[in-house]
Amino acid sequence: MRSKLLTTLLGGLFALPFGLLALLAVAPGWRFPAVLPAEYSLGALRSLLAADNELLAGLGRSLLLASVVAAVATAGGFGLAWAIARTARPGRWEALSYLPYALPPVLLAVLIQPFIIRLHLSGSVGGVLVGLLLIALPFATLLLRSFWSQQATEYEQLARTLGCTPRQAFQQVLLPLAWPLLRTALFQTFLLSWFDFGFTNLLSVGKVRTLTVQVFTYVGEANAQLAAVASLLLLLPPALLLWVNKKALLRRPDLG
Amino acid sequence: MSSKLRSGKLLLGLYALLVVGLPLAGLGYALLGSVGVVGPLAAGFTGRYWLALGADTGLLKSALFSLWVAGASLGLSVAAALGLVLGAQATLRRRPFPTLLYVPLLMPSLVMGFYLFQLLSRAGWLSRLSFQLGLTHSLDAFPELVQDAAGGGIILAQVLLAFPFLTLLFQAIYQESRLDDYRQLTQTLGASAAQFRWRVAVPVLLRRAAPALLLSGIATLGAYDLPLLLGRPYPQMLSVYIATRLQRFDLRELPAAYLAGFLVAVGLLGLILVLIRLTRRHAF
Repeated sequence: MRSKLLTTLLGGLFALPFGLLALLAVAPGWRFPAVLPAEYSLGALRSLLAADNELLAGLGRSLLLASVVAAVATAGGFGLAWAIARTARPGRWEALSYLPYALPPVLLAVLIQPFIIRLHLSGSVGGVLVGLLLIALPFATLLLRSFWSQQATEYEQLARTLGCTPRQAFQQVLLPLAWPLLRTALFQTFLLSWFDFGFTNLLSVGKVRTLTVQVFTYVGEANAQLAAVASLLLLLPPALLLWVNKKALLRRPDLG
Repeated sequence: MSSKLRSGKLLLGLYALLVVGLPLAGLGYALLGSVGVVGPLAAGFTGRYWLALGADTGLLKSALFSLWVAGASLGLSVAAALGLVLGAQATLRRRPFPTLLYVPLLMPSLVMGFYLFQLLSRAGWLSRLSFQLGLTHSLDAFPELVQDAAGGGIILAQVLLAFPFLTLLFQAIYQESRLDDYRQLTQTLGASAAQFRWRVAVPVLLRRAAPALLLSGIATLGAYDLPLLLGRPYPQMLSVYIATRLQRFDLRELPAAYLAGFLVAVGLLGLILVLIRLTRRHAF
């Protein structure tokens, strides 16, 4: 009985945001004190299919940015984790990797902004990419650090002894072994970038209009319907990722 | 030196430049900017922005408000997560709980802020419901649940985002540490269920989760999206306070914004060092 009550309570608590956002997305003029919208319209959702739709462009921009950040951070993190494993003091490199997490993202953006301006990257996708990599790259490095243990080196050496070239040992032995961890790194760095608002908004001075930036703009314009549609679009990729692999969402780098 | 080693060193050098060099250079720039040496209107060394700190309580109030929000959010999230893990262990292992708790992890904080605003504001859904039920008779009669002076809306949003994650974390630690075996052992030795919870389970869970709790607290301390949507213009949380000062049109405000950024960054780094030492000293 108590168990059912708890499940219903939490289920309701977690389902309510999706219900309210869905209602807002199909309610063009939902005013106080109506508890339910007076009319329903799929207009905002249908307009997503139009070629010049700003929301659709934002979705594409966010997807592209998050995918590039995930791919670069995961590939770079894998190489960096390998390089760190071969240094005399890997612990120091790991400690340094935590520096970007010691500061709130917006404060980090404030600190690096003068250099982004000097590099003529302010207000551009390139500037946002550099900023996001500053957070995603150490994250992936710390996450993938655990792969480069003595065991991985031994597998690599065994493959070489059995006649593999370095490339074959990497592609046919190390990569398949590392794949579960690489997949987690890809998922999580994608989400880091996908969820970001403050960092992107500050570094791009509002010019790189990702989905999160658009949600904020629509909220500022009191356009609850479009803000709800953008919010629902923001929930789509994480929901897909949860469906594919929920463990990849939770795994975090160990904190020494 | 082999080419593999050389490329590894080059990679690490570039990494250090990005991850350590850039933030530290930013910190240095903020310090120089706060004394008028660099920046768009730099006119040479001056200590007036530092001296003005004594008269301006905005930064201090913002820091205190942020500490309150972070402390209250973390405390409530930890209490809720511990309550679930220690009070509903059997339920947590049954479906749909293991999946259900992942659902809030899908939600960006900005979307959570927007949702709570639509739910709890004076024109929000709960206010409409209470109006239709005759509990309130106007917009103003509904209590201020968001954009309130105590930051209640921000705290609620942070708790909703953090407690499912902390529940999953505590549950993983509970199982890894085989706390169920310890529970049986303590009961065999005559301890009550409450004694097991308070003297065995809670210390183990909190000590092992300390680094994640520390990161969670720092993240809340520097939160931006939620306070921007659910907070008031005064007092502001630290990230909003600094970003607002930096984005003002008056360029003469910039050194004060740099000073605030520098002090907050140094303060946070110091706080983290102290907390890391404390958690290591009390670790197993």
